Amino acid sequence: MSSPFSINGGACVAMVGKDCVAIACDLRLGLQALTVSNNFPKVFQYGDNVFLGLTGLATDVSTVSDLFRYKVNMYRLREERHIAPRTFANLVSSSLYERRFGPYFVSPVVAGLDPTTGAPFICGFDSIGCIDFAKDFIVSGTATEQLFGMCESLWEPDLGPDALFETISQSLLNAVDRDALSGWGAHVYIIEKDKVTKRLLKGRQD
Amino acid sequence: MPGFDFSNYNRNAALHARGVPLPKATSTGTTIVGCIYEGGVVIAADTRATSGPIVADKNCEKLHYIASNIWCAGAGTAADTEFTTALISSQLELHALSTGRKARVVTCMTMLKQHLFRYQGHIGAYLVVAGVDPTGTHLFTVHAHGSTDKLPYVTMGSGSLAAMSVFETQWKASLTRDEAVKLCADAIEAGIWNDLGSGSNVDVAVITADKTTLMRNYIKPNERTQKLRSYAFPKGTTAVLNEKIIRKADLGNFVSVHELTEENDDKMEVDT
Amino acid sequence: MADRYSFSLTTFSPSGKLVQIEYALNAVNQGVTALGIKATNGIVLATEKKSSSPLADPSSLAKISLITPNIGMVYSGMGPDYRVLVDRARKVSHTGYKRIYNEYPPTRILVQDVARVMQEATQSGGVRPYGVSLLVAGWDEGVLPEEELEKAKLAKQAAAGAGVGAGQGEEEGEGSKLSDKTGGILKGGPMLYQVDPSGSYFPWKATAIGKSATTAKTFLEKRYTEGLELEDAVHIALLTLKETIEGEMNGETIEIGIVGAPADHLLGVEGVEGAVGPRFRKLTPQEIEDYLTNL
Repeated sequence: MSSPFSINGGACVAMVGKDCVAIACDLRLGLQALTVSNNFPKVFQYGDNVFLGLTGLATDVSTVSDLFRYKVNMYRLREERHIAPRTFANLVSSSLYERRFGPYFVSPVVAGLDPTTGAPFICGFDSIGCIDFAKDFIVSGTATEQLFGMCESLWEPDLGPDALFETISQSLLNAVDRDALSGWGAHVYIIEKDKVTKRLLKGRQD
Repeated sequence: MPGFDFSNYNRNAALHARGVPLPKATSTGTTIVGCIYEGGVVIAADTRATSGPIVADKNCEKLHYIASNIWCAGAGTAADTEFTTALISSQLELHALSTGRKARVVTCMTMLKQHLFRYQGHIGAYLVVAGVDPTGTHLFTVHAHGSTDKLPYVTMGSGSLAAMSVFETQWKASLTRDEAVKLCADAIEAGIWNDLGSGSNVDVAVITADKTTLMRNYIKPNERTQKLRSYAFPKGTTAVLNEKIIRKADLGNFVSVHELTEENDDKMEVDT
Repeated sequence: MADRYSFSLTTFSPSGKLVQIEYALNAVNQGVTALGIKATNGIVLATEKKSSSPLADPSSLAKISLITPNIGMVYSGMGPDYRVLVDRARKVSHTGYKRIYNEYPPTRILVQDVARVMQEATQSGGVRPYGVSLLVAGWDEGVLPEEELEKAKLAKQAAAGAGVGAGQGEEEGEGSKLSDKTGGILKGGPMLYQVDPSGSYFPWKATAIGKSATTAKTFLEKRYTEGLELEDAVHIALLTLKETIEGEMNGETIEIGIVGAPADHLLGVEGVEGAVGPRFRKLTPQEIEDYLTNL
């Protein structure tokens, strides 16, 4: 049997721009080679500007996204404030490590802007909660290798919101076109200080 | 502590029994070293994190804070080194507060080895523990199964042989601070060039009786060359099917308080 | 038997009072006075260090404790109960917060956790309430009060400006007004709380607990002004103590803890990105003597 990380397929990527961040995912849900849905988003919002991308085993993607919805809501009620991206990243990390010996099969990505300084923040995790703090981009999912290649060549520092959108979109679309398990459209979020723009991209349906 | 949650264990073990491979954890293939000198101790590490053959992080931090006078270099499973050092750091801070003394390096080493021994090597943390306390300067290695060593110079990780070759040819008793830093950095560089699991930059920490100096990216021998051409796409390259803009002002807060104006006709009826 | 079941010792009297809690408060009101004053740039906690015998070694005694690098605590009432609470507060700040979020709890969260411990002692079987009141002082990261006012002003102006272009100025103006109504969001700066044996807690600008709390509070009401600086607050704290103190006032008999600017010299490390020194620290006897000579 194949790895639980590649049963359902899917890809996710986050990038840092100038005073903005972007996070994007594909929309495919499959059962090995059979595509079940072309509307399975893998990016979830947890507050004004905290986003979590989850790829991996779809059942765990749903479970984990709901678990963090609960944890973030409890945080907000207890502390009367929104959770900051860095705090959220540490929450994700400790929650995953708690299951060190029985992990969820997910590869999370966090993107957001710091609520006090407005500084961009992105990071990625392995399935047991080791944080990968990056200053440029984070990739996850079955198209990881393709995304690494696309991002390494296309990403550059200080991209504005519009340029960042084109860069992340082209990186994702062209990466998933070379991965049979990902694709079928994409969601792209561009997160700026006072607004979030969500776009639905046209992608190949094969 | 830590209270691990095993509720997915049976599911994952059943999957594994049917031939599903185990998840790939980020590992720090790693070269880490430590070296005592007259008046202190130096530890150093490379900054590459790998996931199988993929370089997962080109500039990660492998020197972990335990206390201001005790630092750890970690190799093995990245999450395990990160959380084991954080847990012991937390316990040591509480211990220091309740005793009113600075934590000792042997205490830290003993807590680490007892924790790792309890988990029989399943927590894959391989550590170099270094520090200065009122009893002197100390340098230890701690292996995932709980064994420890006390030596004047140590190396660990996949690049440990490359690094040890540098120590074995160049180390001498009574080094100065600068000589120790140079020796450690050279040992790490040997790992960076000759071990595929290690790469990128050299991080160094120097611990003395009065302070610790962290030199993050002390040597950067692998800087990315500037791209000669920009690949930025013109606006409108990507086909968009649908766009939605959410403004922060529209979102409001998690509680929306609406103030009713005075001239509001339909006032709420209240018992008098 | 005892570990199978036991009854709460704190039960209602027919008149609706929990007399055990009132007795606990009586214990507090016999305790040595402690006080706290909040300034714009910090907080001061002060108390008298009273030893029962001239033979006691005062340097081994400490009534003001560090809980997290930015939070400190002082008490009135029973010393042994206080030490239990200090241990619990330190422990819960790690297990319930730092090991989850990799940061220390904000003051209010810590206060709530300690208050929960104290409340549980009023409802659990076989235990008595804690015989202490606490003053908890801390500094929270976030938007400082004065910055918040400025930000609200700027947001209003920006909303008015954008309103002309976007035609939705009304909506945005409402948004920025709402944000300063709900208050809790990102609020930073100095925080001072009192926690009582019942588990109730109150935020204060300045207050006192213990034997001469009433006298001290009356004095503080007269001396406290808005926009106080930390140096002035320490001064007022000493003047207030002077009103209530029984013995001599010197560096050995007075204990002072301050929450102020980050003390980076106490950090012990350099070169760590984003590392900030502890804000809470206790004044040395020499520092207290210096304040006393300038009184």
